[in-house]
Amino acid sequence: MSAVTTTTGAAFIATLRRDLLIAYKKKHDVVNPFMFFLIVATLFPIGISPEPERLGEIAAGVLWIAALLAAMLSMDSLYRSDFEDGSLEQLLLSPHPLYFMVLAKNIAHWLVSGLPVVLVSPLIAYMLNLPDEAYLAVFLTLLIGTPVLSLLGSIGVALTVGLGSRGLILAVITLPMSVPVLIAGTMAVQQTLNGAPLLGYLAILGALLLGSLALAPLASAAALRITVN
Amino acid sequence: MSVATTAESESLANSKIPVLAARDLYCERDDRVLFQHLNFELNAGQVLQIQGSNGSGKTTLLRILCGLNDGYQGSIFWQGVEVTEQAEQFYADLLYIGHRVGVSKVLTPLENLRWSSTLQQRVDDAVIYQALCDVGLRGFEESQCFTLSAGQQQRVSLARLLISPARLWILDEPFTTLDTTGVDLLERLLQQHADKGGAVLVTTHHSLQVPDLQRLSLG
Amino acid sequence: MWLWFSKLGSPKWFYELSGKWLPWLIAVMSLLLIIGIVWALLFVPPDYQQGNTIRIMYIHVPFASISLAFFPLMAVAGTITLVWRMKLADMVAKTAAPLGAWFTALALISGSIWGSDIWGTWWIWDGRLTSMLLQFFLLIGVISLRSALEDTEAASKACAVLSIVGCINVFVIKFSVDWWNTLHQPAGSFSLADDAPNPPEVWVPLVVMILAIYCFFAVSLILATRNEILVRERRAQWVEDLACNS
Repeated sequence: MSAVTTTTGAAFIATLRRDLLIAYKKKHDVVNPFMFFLIVATLFPIGISPEPERLGEIAAGVLWIAALLAAMLSMDSLYRSDFEDGSLEQLLLSPHPLYFMVLAKNIAHWLVSGLPVVLVSPLIAYMLNLPDEAYLAVFLTLLIGTPVLSLLGSIGVALTVGLGSRGLILAVITLPMSVPVLIAGTMAVQQTLNGAPLLGYLAILGALLLGSLALAPLASAAALRITVN
Repeated sequence: MSVATTAESESLANSKIPVLAARDLYCERDDRVLFQHLNFELNAGQVLQIQGSNGSGKTTLLRILCGLNDGYQGSIFWQGVEVTEQAEQFYADLLYIGHRVGVSKVLTPLENLRWSSTLQQRVDDAVIYQALCDVGLRGFEESQCFTLSAGQQQRVSLARLLISPARLWILDEPFTTLDTTGVDLLERLLQQHADKGGAVLVTTHHSLQVPDLQRLSLG
Repeated sequence: MWLWFSKLGSPKWFYELSGKWLPWLIAVMSLLLIIGIVWALLFVPPDYQQGNTIRIMYIHVPFASISLAFFPLMAVAGTITLVWRMKLADMVAKTAAPLGAWFTALALISGSIWGSDIWGTWWIWDGRLTSMLLQFFLLIGVISLRSALEDTEAASKACAVLSIVGCINVFVIKFSVDWWNTLHQPAGSFSLADDAPNPPEVWVPLVVMILAIYCFFAVSLILATRNEILVRERRAQWVEDLACNS
C-alpha cells in the first residue's frame, strides 16, 4: 500500500488555485492594497503641489513608491492565515519541493495584489499628469518590477510569520531590499523621457525578475522551515 | 483466500523492519532537556500512544518525527532508512494533524480536502463526499469552515484520514474538541488503520480503547 | 581537518585561545592607533583644496571600508550556522550585527562631517552615502529580527538566512545606487576620497589608520563574542570554574 503521489505540477496548480480561491472569497485582501495604492498616490498632489508640471516630474516616482508600499502592505496576508490555521504545516509536509509550493503562493499573491495595481497605474498616471511618452515605460516596468517586490517581500514575511506584531520589522527588512527595483523602474521611465531606448532597462528589470524567481523562493522556503517551528 | 495470504506475508515482512524507529533522540529547549536517549520502534499494525504531563515535550517529539522541527540530535528511520535520505517517500506516506488542524476557515470542507489530497494523491470528489459523510459532516460540504464549530473543523481534518493513502499517521491531541461520537469514530479509524497494516503515533490524555496499544511515557 | 573544524567550533576553545591572543592584539591596535592618529593630525600636510579638513579622511575611510565587510562576514557565519550548526558562528554573527550598525553609523557621521565642509552641506545623496545608509537599515533589520524571535535556535537560523539574502542584496544595492548616482550626479560635485593620486605622506598614514581600525574591529568583535559565549554557555562546567576562580 505504498502511496502513489501526485506530480509536483499538479500540486503546484492545486496550491495556486486554492490561494486564488481564498482571495476570491476574502475580497478585502484584494481590495485593500489596491485602495491603499490609490490613496497614497492621491496624497502626493495634496502634499506637494497640484501644479501639472511639478506633478508630471514626480509622477513616475510616486507611482513606483505607492506600488512598493502597497506591495509591502499586502504581503501580510501571504502566509499569516495559513500559518494560523495549520495549512502551512501541511504545505511543509507535502512530498513536493517547497520551492514550487512557495512559488505558487507567490504567483497567486501577485495576481491578486500586484496585477490590479499595475492595471490601474495608467489611470493614476493620467491623474498625475505623467508625460504621454512615459505611459508604456511605467506600465511595463511596473509589470516586470512588482513581481520582484512580491518575491522579495515573501522572504520578509516568511522570516516573521510567527511574530505577533511585525509591521515595522517587515518594513525594515523588505523596503531596503526593494531599492534596486525602485531604481531600475524609475530610471527606466526618466531615461525614456530623455529619449533613451526602453528595452535596455526592461532587460535589467527582467534580469532582476529572473534572479529573484530563482533565488527568492529558496530563501522563503528556508525561512518558512525555520519559523514554522 | 489468496488475498489473505498476501496480506499475511506482507505484514510478516513488515514486522521485520519497523515502520518508524527513533534512535537515541535528544532534545533540549530553552536550556532544559526535554528528553534524552529516547528509543522506540513502531511496527506496522501498531498504535503508539505518547503520554506525558503538560510541557513534557510530546508535541515537540511529534514535530521532530515529522521533520517540522530539526532542533534535535539522534536518528529517525523510516522503514529502516534514515528519513533525511528519503524525505520524499516519507512525506508521501505521512499524514500529520497538529494542534492547528490545517483547515482553512475561508474554504469549504470540500475545497480544503481537494487541496490537501492533491498534495499527496488526488481523489475524486465522490470519495471526498463519502469521507465527509463518514465523519458526520453530511450537508456541510459546501459551507465555509468558519461557520463550523471547532469539533466540526476537527472532523474535516479527520476526513483526511479516510482519503489519504499515508501509512503513518501522526496525530497531536486529536481528541480534544471531539464529542463522544467523534471519539468513537476516531478510535474506530485508528483501529481500522492498524488492521490494514498502518501505523499510528498519537498523543492524548484520553484513555484509548484500541487493542494492542503501545505506550511511551515522556518526562 | 574535521577535528580542527569542530575544535574551532567549540566556544570554550575559542574563549581560551582568544584570551591568549587578545592582549597582543590590543597592544598592536594601540600602537597603530597612536602612530596613525598622531601622524594624521600633526604631520600630514594640509590638502591644497580641502586644507585641514582632509584629516577627517583618516577616520572616515577606515570605518567606511570596514563597514563593507560586515555583511559578507555575517553571510559566511550564517552559512556555517545553517550547514554545520556551529554555535560559535552564530555567536559571531549575533555580535557582528550591532557592531556593524555602529561602524556604519560612524562611517556615515564622519562622512557627513567631512561633507559639511567640502560640499557645504551635511547630507547629499551621494552614491556611497546612500548605499551606506541602506546597509545601515538592513543591519537594523537583522538586529530587530534577532530581538523579535524569542527562540534562540529559530532566531539564529532566521538571521542567518536574512544575512545571506542581505549580503547578496548589499551588492545589488551598491551596484544600482552607483548607477543611479552617476545618472543623477549634478555637474561640478566631486565624491569623497576620489581625488587625484595622493603622495605617500598622505596615503601611508591612511594605511596605518586602516590597519588600526581593522585591529579595533577584531578586538571589539572578539570581546563581544566572548561575552556572548559566557552568556550562552552559562550552564557549562568550564564557565562555572571560570567564575569561581576569578
